[in-house]
Amino acid sequence: MSFLLVLPILAPLTAAALAAVLGWRPLTASVTVVAALCVLVTGVILGFTNGSGVRFAIANLFRTDALSITMLIVIGTVGTLATWASVGYIDAELTHGHTDAKGANLYGVLVPVFLAAMASAVLANNIGVMWVAIEATTVATAFLVGHRRTRAALEATWKYVVICSVGIALAFLGTVLLYFASLHAGATSGDALNIDVLLAHASRLDPAVTSLAAGLLLLGYGAKAGLVPFHTWLADAHSQAPAPVSALMSGVLLSVAFYALLRVKSVVDLAVGTGFLRTGLIIVGLLTLLIAASLLVVQTDFKRMLAYSSMENMGLVAVAAAAGTKLAIAALLLHVLAHGIAKTLVFLGSGQLQAAHGSTRISDVTGVLARSRMVGVTFLVGLAILLGLPPFAMFASELSISRALADAHLGWVLGAALLLVVVAFAALVRNGSRMLLGPPTPGSPAIAVPRSVAAALVAGVVLSLLLGLTVGPMLQLFQTAATMLGGTR
Amino acid sequence: MSAATELPGLTATALQVVAVVAGAPFVVGGMRQVRARLEGRAGGGIGQPWRDLRKQLRKQQITPAGTTVVFGFAPAVVAGTTLLIAAILPLIALGSPLDSAADLFGVVGLLFLGTVALTLAGLDTGTAFGGMGSSREITIAALVEPTILLAVFALSVPGHSANLAAIVSATADHPGQLVSPGSLLAFVALAIVIIAETGRLPVDNPSTHLELTMIHEAMILEYAGPKLALVEWASGMRLTVLLGLVANLFLPWGVAGAHPSVLAVLIGLVAISAKVAVLAGVLATGEVFIAKLRYFRIPELLAGSFLLALLAVTASYFFATPT
Amino acid sequence: MTQATYNGVLNLAAGAFLLAAVLIVWRRELRSIVVLLAWQGLALAAIPVTEGIYHHDAALVIVGVVVLVLRAVILPLLLVRAVGTEPHERRESTPLVNTTTSLLITAALTVLAYAVTRPIIALDPSPATRAVPAAFAVILIAVFVMVSRRRALSQAVGFMMLDNGIAATAFLITAGVPLIVELGASLDVTFAVLVLGLLTGYMRATFGGTDLDQLRELRG
Repeated sequence: MSFLLVLPILAPLTAAALAAVLGWRPLTASVTVVAALCVLVTGVILGFTNGSGVRFAIANLFRTDALSITMLIVIGTVGTLATWASVGYIDAELTHGHTDAKGANLYGVLVPVFLAAMASAVLANNIGVMWVAIEATTVATAFLVGHRRTRAALEATWKYVVICSVGIALAFLGTVLLYFASLHAGATSGDALNIDVLLAHASRLDPAVTSLAAGLLLLGYGAKAGLVPFHTWLADAHSQAPAPVSALMSGVLLSVAFYALLRVKSVVDLAVGTGFLRTGLIIVGLLTLLIAASLLVVQTDFKRMLAYSSMENMGLVAVAAAAGTKLAIAALLLHVLAHGIAKTLVFLGSGQLQAAHGSTRISDVTGVLARSRMVGVTFLVGLAILLGLPPFAMFASELSISRALADAHLGWVLGAALLLVVVAFAALVRNGSRMLLGPPTPGSPAIAVPRSVAAALVAGVVLSLLLGLTVGPMLQLFQTAATMLGGTR
Repeated sequence: MSAATELPGLTATALQVVAVVAGAPFVVGGMRQVRARLEGRAGGGIGQPWRDLRKQLRKQQITPAGTTVVFGFAPAVVAGTTLLIAAILPLIALGSPLDSAADLFGVVGLLFLGTVALTLAGLDTGTAFGGMGSSREITIAALVEPTILLAVFALSVPGHSANLAAIVSATADHPGQLVSPGSLLAFVALAIVIIAETGRLPVDNPSTHLELTMIHEAMILEYAGPKLALVEWASGMRLTVLLGLVANLFLPWGVAGAHPSVLAVLIGLVAISAKVAVLAGVLATGEVFIAKLRYFRIPELLAGSFLLALLAVTASYFFATPT
Repeated sequence: MTQATYNGVLNLAAGAFLLAAVLIVWRRELRSIVVLLAWQGLALAAIPVTEGIYHHDAALVIVGVVVLVLRAVILPLLLVRAVGTEPHERRESTPLVNTTTSLLITAALTVLAYAVTRPIIALDPSPATRAVPAAFAVILIAVFVMVSRRRALSQAVGFMMLDNGIAATAFLITAGVPLIVELGASLDVTFAVLVLGLLTGYMRATFGGTDLDQLRELRG
């Protein structure tokens, strides 16, 4: 069984090693897709077999419980879709000269390493190992963001590396302080950072030190999750990265960083009470929503628009985590999964639009629905999901989050959040309709869609429909995870 | 002569004042001589400032038209405050009769009083250079006074008293404190501010004749004759007194106790003379190798020394060794 | 090693550590601040080595030596090489905040650090923990340096100072975190510096300089 636990990490690493040796070619690209599929399949198998228990592996460094299985499924789904699309995307880039063989090789190696790092982060039982994994994702994605080597891409990479490194350094400080508190609560030095040990000793952790640690961790992991105040890298990095990487970063990486916050929250809530992080998350969440909604209104670049939409969703997720009830956490997890798939759809579509037009300005792109059935319809579906329209899953998740906020007596937070979500809704509708509907301007270039990208898009739509119509077996998983995180109501 | 005969504390204090009055021109002369020799000149000899003072005292008293009593009294105020400081500070012996008033804040206040008096005199002349010198001097003083306070306060934390005699005896009893971060930082900060306060390089060149580069000299440009002698004497005394303060704060050995015997007083006198001579020599040697800072860079230097003094205070508080 | 010596050396190391940070704020030339960073790495390495000797913990001494080699020798050398390739852009262009104000802000940050770390000292009043405010102050000063500098390399120095401060905190309050985490942290700082160095190279090739004010395309 412990082999199953480390498969999600080993499989992508093997794919990366293969790509390092053989370079970018159909074989290595397919192996990467298979590796991502392994992650997904492992998650599904563990979901069926794990139940509500917790399992450990490798000297208690790794764990599987409902929460990590959920995140594995998210990583696996988005990973499979993105790596599948990468095959055609990178080949198209090579043909059009946007990148060279070296760039493609680097891409082929870094993407599976990225997947392995994310899988390690969600499977880690030791908070220190989790931190190392999340730092590894920054290192892995640094050159992925700068893949195109343009001025804008370099600027984005610099901002990304600097801001996320500062954030992750603060998170490290928070981890050290938590270790300190844990040692003084009676844990032994070898496993003082293990989540189960921390949960067991939580009542004895010094409240003042733990609060300081929690604040630093909120700031630090919040930086990786695109929350205020370290959010300024998000729009740049997600808009400059190649489309499948943007999908992975927006769809999964932000959520993995937030997952780290959830794990910390379960410990901190027991040590200092729920009030501290609840206040922190509300402030951070609402500010993130405010900034994202404001900047969405004035957007002129569609990839940046999608990046700010991710930021808006992370703000909503933060507010939901602040509520902390069982319903809130379960809804949060559904939201994360649905958002991941939706973002993949829209980013892949926008990648093809960028390839066709050579620019990412909204005003340059018109009448997509008329020009390309594939890109137009899938982009429309993706936008519909992001807007929270039924029958897709984000309708249910946003409704549940609202209900949870009301139950937790956070009515004013709910009001503010709804207002900002409506603003974002309006901005997305306006820009989306401008791009998709209506007749295209004469002389618009044809939109080519490589086969693998098309396949990924179709698969994404099908998955979203399935998820929207029936949450099914996932519901049990979400509820188990929610109960584990301390939600009592 | 037996060492058991004890002298009243007043004697030691009087001896301190006399020594400062008599020795200050020699300190200035010594510094000039060291600088001259290092620069390859013959120099005027250590006694030259005394000869200059004698020459100026014999000259006619001239008062510029349009000046008020401020101009007239400023030299006396400067000299008076410096003499008072010389009496208060534990230079030769610890038990000054002014001990009850001899805390840190009193001394810094007296220093500042002297600075202000001279600044006002510079303004009183109504000339451009006087005003310029005064404004520069007060800018520097504004940054220097808090730093002196903080630096000496940092040294007072281990002894839990702001009384200078208490600080000196506490350092003499626990020499290990000198190597603590607080003391080291306080030393660097104090060195910088004393250079600034007494108008030495790199803040102010005492031997410049270019008016636009002057700070201290510009304020006293209009003085001549006996008043100039008094001002120059007072400047020399301030330098001596501050060097003596630094010497006794950081090298407190040789200072006589509260009720000293004749031998102890003599040892104290010799010790302080030696320490001040050495410090003056080191300062003069340093001056040979440093160029004057441009005026707008001085606040940077002083802000840095303020920060060092602040760090010294926090270091002393939080690194206090458990007893 | 006696208790008094242990206290003294630890205090000196922490004091020198903080002083190096203050001097990095004060000086503006790229070469001087990289040299100061190397000295700071030396002061940092002194902490685990002293603790290792006092507690008779050989592993801690070894970690200290590794830290010394990495943060006082290798990483500053990498940065010096990057500085050396800059032509006459040795001196930092006017920072965003002038030196006097920077120094006063540093003073305020130091006081803030002392205030914030009181619960840590309260939980474990040992000589090592009492030096934590200095390390925390270096962290705050490093964030300030990163925010207020224009040159890419100055920001890199600020980032390394941040990492030094966090490592110092880790060593002071817990005599190091578990080895795997320390290894991970060291690897990450190495990678980050390598990435930043490579990016600086690309930037010079693309922009013709490393003045971060030129990175102004992405707005809104």
